[in-house]
Amino acid sequence: MEFAFYLSGLVAVLATLGVITNPNPVHGVLYLVVSLLAVAMVFFSLGAPFAGVLEIIVYAGAIMVLFVFVVMMLNLGEAGVAQERAWLRPRTWLGPSLLAAFLLLTLSVLLWRGDAGMLMQRGDALTAKAVGTRLFGPWLLVVELSALLLLAALVTASHVGRLPTTPKPSSSDRRQEAP
Amino acid sequence: MLTSARFVALLPLMLVAASAVTVMLGIAWRRQHAATVAVTALGLSLALVAQVIAWQAGPVQTPLLAFDGLAMLGGVLILGSTLICAILSHAYLEQYRGAREEFYLLLLCAAAGGLTLAASRHLASLFVGLELLSMPLYGMLAYAYRERRSLEAGVKYLILSAAASAFLLFGMALLYAQTGELRFDVLLVELSGETGLWGLAGVGMMVVGLGFKLSVVPFHLWTPDVYEGGPAPAATFLATASKVAVFFLLLRLVLDVPGLQGRWLQTLLAILALASMLVGNLLALTQSNLKRLLGYSSIAHFGYLLVTLVVGDGLAAETGGVYLITYVLTTLAAFGVVTLISGAAGGEDVAALHYYRGLFWRRPYLTAVLTIAMLSLAGIPATVGFIGKFYIIALGVEASRWWLVGGIILGSAIGLYYYLRVMVTLYLLAPGMQRRDAPHDWGARAGGLVVLGVALAVIVLGLYPAPMIDMAAQLGGVP
Repeated sequence: MEFAFYLSGLVAVLATLGVITNPNPVHGVLYLVVSLLAVAMVFFSLGAPFAGVLEIIVYAGAIMVLFVFVVMMLNLGEAGVAQERAWLRPRTWLGPSLLAAFLLLTLSVLLWRGDAGMLMQRGDALTAKAVGTRLFGPWLLVVELSALLLLAALVTASHVGRLPTTPKPSSSDRRQEAP
Repeated sequence: MLTSARFVALLPLMLVAASAVTVMLGIAWRRQHAATVAVTALGLSLALVAQVIAWQAGPVQTPLLAFDGLAMLGGVLILGSTLICAILSHAYLEQYRGAREEFYLLLLCAAAGGLTLAASRHLASLFVGLELLSMPLYGMLAYAYRERRSLEAGVKYLILSAAASAFLLFGMALLYAQTGELRFDVLLVELSGETGLWGLAGVGMMVVGLGFKLSVVPFHLWTPDVYEGGPAPAATFLATASKVAVFFLLLRLVLDVPGLQGRWLQTLLAILALASMLVGNLLALTQSNLKRLLGYSSIAHFGYLLVTLVVGDGLAAETGGVYLITYVLTTLAAFGVVTLISGAAGGEDVAALHYYRGLFWRRPYLTAVLTIAMLSLAGIPATVGFIGKFYIIALGVEASRWWLVGGIILGSAIGLYYYLRVMVTLYLLAPGMQRRDAPHDWGARAGGLVVLGVALAVIVLGLYPAPMIDMAAQLGGVP
């Protein structure tokens, strides 16, 4: 199992390098998806399948797809279509696909050998129930505080992202109105 | 399990969170600035009372939080300064065009984060608390986002703070890999035996992350810009409650395991302290903007405060407590005046020193408050700042840390120059140019009364410091 850990770790590092060196946001996001999948593999190889599955469903599945959609929607218009065509060249998707294929290979070799359970790191596999009882038992406070954190983030985003509905008076007007 | 003792200890946090939710629901229903402020102030006052009651009830430990003396004093300071920030924001946001109520929601969320951080004894609560403290601050700093500088301050703080959080998380991961433990007390005991290379790297990275939040040299580059650009109440919160929470956390880390800090960590902290005192004071010399000047001065003050962490035993806890009380009171007074003057009209904050030229001839009482704050920051006797500085120097002398004592004395001498420069400006003859000013009835409003009260406390506690010292003495620390 150790080889899976190191190989996935390598993929994660390479994919993340791809994220930060890529000038195009969509390409960067694709690499980020691969990086998150690789991290999920790391979790699997460490014997934490629950965390791995969550990583795939939540990050790679939901959040990243949202990222891709948003980034793509920002590039509308004629130039956008030309851009899309340019993106379909193999240069764009080859890197992420190669890395993803590598991950798939690692996973299938693991499954093929069929001894995944025996070679896992020692310790019990974490179940959803165990995570749930832990989160909503002694760690309830952290869950609640995270909710507050998300509320603050949401309010910040909605306030700063607000567009002026009516033309605002310029600052010199405001100054004259003030007593 | 939620026993009654734990309930009492957690009550302040719950009250703050509950008022945040109430404010949110209120905004959804109907926007009402005055009512929002009233709910915020009521919630914070109740939480303050609950915090004092919890302090009387004695220390409580939960798996994630430790409600010991440090957490209690930290909670009182955080809640008190948040309350004052809320009242000042009312004065400041009166003239703001646009949504005003969200500011209080963010303020309450940040206060909850501060309470968690000051009480945390587990890496998880540390991280969540720190993020809950920082996340609303991005919004508060960028609140007047139509002003370029405010937006710049928010984005700058967001990016640099995220980098610092990444350092902190990486450090935590390394420490976890080394020890397999997330609770501070066990973690630090494990580390004090055989540190190892990864442990060293982990501690170093955590110092970087927390040093950023305290804006200690060399992680201070964001401070002046953010202080200058952010709306005055947000900068006030950043300078007081946010820093208090982080510092109390560091104090707990150091006091938990006195033998932990091998020589290298002590040396590292001593170098950071010395650099902060000197660089902070030297850079403040040439500033012509009051908020920037206060930013650099806060860097220097946290340099002085780091001395308590370097010494780390004996009177360190009491000294840290006393100094923080003095620092918070003084900073609130100074920023309060800036807030009151800036709040009168929209646009950027009034912070350039030339606006303050001749303030005495127009607003004598407000000038008196600012003068008291400057004297206290400089550490002149008969103000509360003197008591704090006296404590720090006594601590340094007792521990024979002569380099640090020399640094404090040199820093204070430099500091005196630029604090006096501000004061001289206040009393010069006013120029004839157009300027902005506090409203005429500022003294009769809540914001004005609070600022006057804080200034009075600076003087009274400077002459009769016994109550403050008693409060800080409960932190223990004397073996």
